[in-house]
Amino acid sequence: MGKVTGFMEFERLAEPYEAPITRKKHYREFVMHLSDDEASTQGARCMDCGIPFCMSGCPVNNIIPDWNDLVFRKDWKNALDTLHSTNNFPEFTGRVCPAPCEEACTLRINNDPVGIKSIEHAIIDKGWEQGWVAPLPPTHKTGKKIAVVGSGPAGMAAAQQLARVGHDVVLFEKNDRIGGLLRYGIPDFKMEKDLIDRRVEQMRAEGVEFRVNQFIGGDVPAKELLDKFDAVILSGGAEQPRDLPVPGRDLTGVHFAMDFLPLQNKRVAGDKNIPDLFATDKHVVVIGGGDTGSDCVGTSNRHGAKSIAQFELLPTPPDSEVNPVWPYWPVRLRTSSSHEEGCERDWSVATKRFEGEDGKVNKLIACRVEWKDGKMQEVGGSEFEMKADLVLLAMGFVSPVQKILEAFGVEKDQRNNAKATTDGAGCYKTSVNKVFAAGDMRRGQSLVVWAIREGRQCARAVDEFLMGCSDLPR
Amino acid sequence: MRLEVSQPVLDLVNLEKLKQIDQATRGRYRSLVLDICYPAEEAAAGMEAALSKLCVSAGKAVKDGYNVLILSDRGVNAKCIPIPALLACAGVHHHLVRAGLRTSTGLVVDTGSVREVHHFALLAGYGAEAICPWLAFDTVNAMADGKKDGAKKFIKAIGKGLYKVMSKMGISTYQSYCGAQIFEAIGLNSPFIAKYFTGTASNIEGIGIEQVAEEAVRVHSLAYSNDPVLASALDAGGEYAFRVRGEEHMWTPDSIAKLQHSTKQNSYATYKEYATIINDQSQRHMTFRGLFDIKSAGAPIPLEEVESAKDIVKRFATGAMSLGSISTEAHTTLAVAMNRIGGKSNTGEGGEDARRYEVIRAGESLQSRIGKERVAKDIALKEGDSLRSKIKQVASGRFGVTAEYLASADQIQIKMAQGAKPGEGGQLPGHKVSEYIAQLRFSVPGVGLISPPPHHDIYSIEDLAQLIHDLKNANPKASISVKLVSEVGVGTVAAGVSKAKSDHVTIAGHDGGTGASPWSSIKHAGTPWELGLAETQQTLVLNHLRGRIAVQVDGQMKTGRDVIVGALLGADEFGFATAPLVVAGCIMMRKCHLNTCPVGVATQDPELRKKFKGAPEHVVNFFFFVAEEAREIMAQMGVRKLDDLIGRSDLLDTRKGIAHWKAKGLDFSRIFHMPDVPAEIARRHREKQEHGLEKALDHKLIAQAQAALEKKQPVVISSPVSNANRTVGTLLSHEVARRYGHTGLPDETIHVNFKGTAGQSFGAFLAKGITLELEGDANDYVGKGLSGGRVIVRPSPAFRGNPLENIIIGNTVLYGAICGDAFFRGVAGERFAVRNSGAAAIVEGVGDHGCEYMTGGTVVVLGGTGRNFAAGMSGGVAYVLDEDGKFTQRVNPAMVTVEPVQSSHEQEAKLARDIWHRGETDEAQLKSMIEQHGRLTHSARATQILGDWATWRGKFVKVFPIEYKRALTELAAKNNKLVA
Repeated sequence: MGKVTGFMEFERLAEPYEAPITRKKHYREFVMHLSDDEASTQGARCMDCGIPFCMSGCPVNNIIPDWNDLVFRKDWKNALDTLHSTNNFPEFTGRVCPAPCEEACTLRINNDPVGIKSIEHAIIDKGWEQGWVAPLPPTHKTGKKIAVVGSGPAGMAAAQQLARVGHDVVLFEKNDRIGGLLRYGIPDFKMEKDLIDRRVEQMRAEGVEFRVNQFIGGDVPAKELLDKFDAVILSGGAEQPRDLPVPGRDLTGVHFAMDFLPLQNKRVAGDKNIPDLFATDKHVVVIGGGDTGSDCVGTSNRHGAKSIAQFELLPTPPDSEVNPVWPYWPVRLRTSSSHEEGCERDWSVATKRFEGEDGKVNKLIACRVEWKDGKMQEVGGSEFEMKADLVLLAMGFVSPVQKILEAFGVEKDQRNNAKATTDGAGCYKTSVNKVFAAGDMRRGQSLVVWAIREGRQCARAVDEFLMGCSDLPR
Repeated sequence: MRLEVSQPVLDLVNLEKLKQIDQATRGRYRSLVLDICYPAEEAAAGMEAALSKLCVSAGKAVKDGYNVLILSDRGVNAKCIPIPALLACAGVHHHLVRAGLRTSTGLVVDTGSVREVHHFALLAGYGAEAICPWLAFDTVNAMADGKKDGAKKFIKAIGKGLYKVMSKMGISTYQSYCGAQIFEAIGLNSPFIAKYFTGTASNIEGIGIEQVAEEAVRVHSLAYSNDPVLASALDAGGEYAFRVRGEEHMWTPDSIAKLQHSTKQNSYATYKEYATIINDQSQRHMTFRGLFDIKSAGAPIPLEEVESAKDIVKRFATGAMSLGSISTEAHTTLAVAMNRIGGKSNTGEGGEDARRYEVIRAGESLQSRIGKERVAKDIALKEGDSLRSKIKQVASGRFGVTAEYLASADQIQIKMAQGAKPGEGGQLPGHKVSEYIAQLRFSVPGVGLISPPPHHDIYSIEDLAQLIHDLKNANPKASISVKLVSEVGVGTVAAGVSKAKSDHVTIAGHDGGTGASPWSSIKHAGTPWELGLAETQQTLVLNHLRGRIAVQVDGQMKTGRDVIVGALLGADEFGFATAPLVVAGCIMMRKCHLNTCPVGVATQDPELRKKFKGAPEHVVNFFFFVAEEAREIMAQMGVRKLDDLIGRSDLLDTRKGIAHWKAKGLDFSRIFHMPDVPAEIARRHREKQEHGLEKALDHKLIAQAQAALEKKQPVVISSPVSNANRTVGTLLSHEVARRYGHTGLPDETIHVNFKGTAGQSFGAFLAKGITLELEGDANDYVGKGLSGGRVIVRPSPAFRGNPLENIIIGNTVLYGAICGDAFFRGVAGERFAVRNSGAAAIVEGVGDHGCEYMTGGTVVVLGGTGRNFAAGMSGGVAYVLDEDGKFTQRVNPAMVTVEPVQSSHEQEAKLARDIWHRGETDEAQLKSMIEQHGRLTHSARATQILGDWATWRGKFVKVFPIEYKRALTELAAKNNKLVA
């Protein structure tokens, strides 16, 4: 345990951010990790609880008290090993995870939680800096072939785990680069993409083969995989966006967020001939109050939008929870770094229609809504207009792309996800022999950290399926 | 011919020496290393044969003249599996015993598998005379970072741990402990026990050599596997702190969260989620009761027909957690809640603030009642609430056990042992002893308080009967309870307790909470309550003793189902401690001993206590939920009244289809057994104990003292006394305490002159304003728990002996005395003034262990002392006349200094006034006590000393506890700072 009285002596320390005014001018990451001393002091705040709620709050069950203590003692190497023992890609989660661990931190009951995410960030950045993150190629090969379809965090985690125990893994990706939403959903200013490239290099050295531009179920028939591989993992994410079927939806300038964000990532990556979709000098309205919406705000600001508004259908969450739900995830108002860069946020707003000229959107008609017993009602006479040259729909994802699931013929659950359990015998296995599913494709849209968890657990299930037993952790 | 080692843990060098011992002893000793590993390819099936072979080789080696056998698993590698060292050791030990060869050889175990105190204790208990933990040494050396004393420190730590284990069991030497087998096995089958652990109690059968071997093989193959998790780190473990993927625990993030949410929001639905996590042990096999099925007694009945929750909750009590271990806020929250539902809360050891006794009036809150400076977080109260704990605990430390405290009880609980740490006393570290706590415990702030392991007035069941009688006298309306711990043989003890006239007995299970207990005790001492309760119930019923005693069970009771199982196994009442504490905010930090509890529950730090968020309402909700769940189960079972369930162990069965590979051999039939007795023999609490209080001499005293009791008019009473009169003055004190509290009556309001030989406990819990003057002599326990009264004992004029050479009062006099004074013209027996916290006493000689564990008060000894004087003494002062100059040989110097008694003149010149005992010079108070002694007892010794005071003063020494001195200095510094 760090320091017995550390939590009484030291405050939570936020990671330093570059000021909005300057960070808005570039696409690089602007969150600096803590210095060694700062991280160590933050580690001292950990109370080494008899029941570390953080560990259960964390979907990959990071052994947080242990590495907090190691960082406190500045034993970075062991901290990194401990962190890697539960999480393949701490550099992803250390940047983009909403940190349910911190919500579960015992200190949060009546204090500020330990800056767990900032410590994770510091550990893994140190690990890369020091060259400690090396490939872990298997000592022997099993001769089993596994296809992983979809290279987001679930697919990457599954592929890495399976390669490390000696299977021949091929990771298929329909886009031109590996990473799924990590690559094209999350803007560079939140997570720079060379982080993915580094992992890809590591995984390649561990034996993973990467095949991009391969749309399984589209260009490549499912049968081909079923014939050539001993097992298939479907980890294609949940990419079907929720639409807003109101009048004017087909006007030019009304786009899904995921038609907008990837373009910028490609520009940053140096790709040429990217379609000309910018927020520059436009009145931008982002519909949807989640993380993707927030990314649209940040990107629009960097484009130089004239104004940015973000609407959410649900009412304004309270600043702090009314009925404490600790250690579970609380619903409360969260302000992201993108919001700090400038944007008008409004809640309980429903969009009724888009209007425009010459087929191009220029305004949006919306109204206020009231929520009663979980049901929404329009507030009479609350209709209002909003200038809008660019409307970005960021209202979440309803399901995986159905084409892949249909190609393999796997049974689906009520929400059109691939149906599979997560515990007990036959977990992560779909209705089709030797086909498994993990990540958003199985559980629906979720967090990167959940994807990593599912990828790891699914890898174990596949290993057990192929070998009869498995040393892989769950 | 014997080979001696200073302690049983051998380091690597000493083990090597032992291997070569024939050279060093020219063949008088011959050692032989026996490899306890066998080929891995033989797998689990091969272990039994390997073990037989090992035993045969051991026998042959002894016959061949090897007199040191070293069982070693150093040969472990990927191809060799070690037989578990304990199994090998016990197996060889018993084989040699059976062959009549055991005493011809020494047995040494050289193993990588031991690291904790308990591991060493087990090996010792099954015959290992010396142990070399080679892997532990390798590990310690690797961790020591170049420092060389790692192994030495490890040996020292294990040694201390073994001391503690042995002292808990009352065993003084390793030789006696070695091979003593004071263990109980849980989950091992009879053939296995009979062969390898011969004579060990094991009540529920379980696994045998095949499964033990299988487990060893699994561990071995994991150790040599490619498991990436184990590649660079050990298994997560999770024994001592919860870890996902580690050891399963009952308290998990979810069970705690659901319990807290349900009780805060008064949501029974959420409570049921919690109860399901706890009760459903189909996957996680955590408790015996989790492996039971409850059968129906008849067809299900509607819920409305079942006894109301309001009645059921009256059977509930909270556990004994002292104010000191938990905060004032947490302690009072539990008390208020229990009083609201008509259950009982427990003071725990450590007294209780008298401000808590009176019922709360409208507009009062915790702060307004107890005092703003004593309550860090105010708690809203309702008119009619009560902060009083109905159960008053009397533990070995007797802290705060005054006549008033006892008079305020509905039940007085004698803590014989504590579930989480049987055989151990408690220790409140100095930093947790705040001013308030010190006040309640009649001690000095900042001075650590030790509760000795045993009650110094209980060395036999007769002594316990005496204490029960004393306490019954101290409060005739209170029931007397004895708290025991579940272990094999507890039934016999409980039968004794019932015969000793206890009204109530508590059987505490091993997994009782207290985060401050030593880990080795939490993990390895005691047994599940199911075992102890079943044994108690069966023994009591068989001996027709059950009807007159109420049986309570406690130890991690969490749900209504737990209550039902407890009732079926024979409990009338149910104790809960951890669960209500969790409701009040506890999150099982397991930091109770560090004073850093971040939720203000188990801390005395005012800043942390401000964070306390518990409320009595939540605790009330919890108990009603538990009762409601119990009612639902009763409706299902077709049972209307809880009384009808008590002792119906025939309604329990082993759960069908327990899947775990190690659970197959379990047999709970001994637990489920119902003694075959006629129907009229009680199986639950139905009758009252016959205490015989009507025979007390005190009734006459009370009658004659009415003017004093009612109008505070002084009375003088004369009475003969004989040794048939036990506990004289205690009922009278109860009458005083009940009317006037701890303040009592003005000095000398009731003066009783006795002549004769007083029985035991003369003047026990004697209240202020009462003087008992005895001409004659007295038995044991004079002035036990003295609460302000005065006791004078002087020999009869007819006695011709020298008072300095003759015992006038028995053993354990003034044990746990709080205040008051005592004058004895003669010698006291052993253990004089043990755990005195404030009385002033003067005596003309004492036996062994005088002033042990004393925390306050003043003792003057005008004659000889026995050995071990002042052991564990942390407060108060003793002035001892050291005539022969050899007192320092008889004092235990661990916690005290022995200083000369300076003249007042010298003291004023040299010693800061701040650290004067009682603010007076030593000379002044010593002299005045001797003068008073002379007056009251006509002591010739006093006359002699005062006759040549200047010379005699120089022969006195002052026994001054180091802790006390430090605390006085600190207190003075604090006060000076305040003044400045």
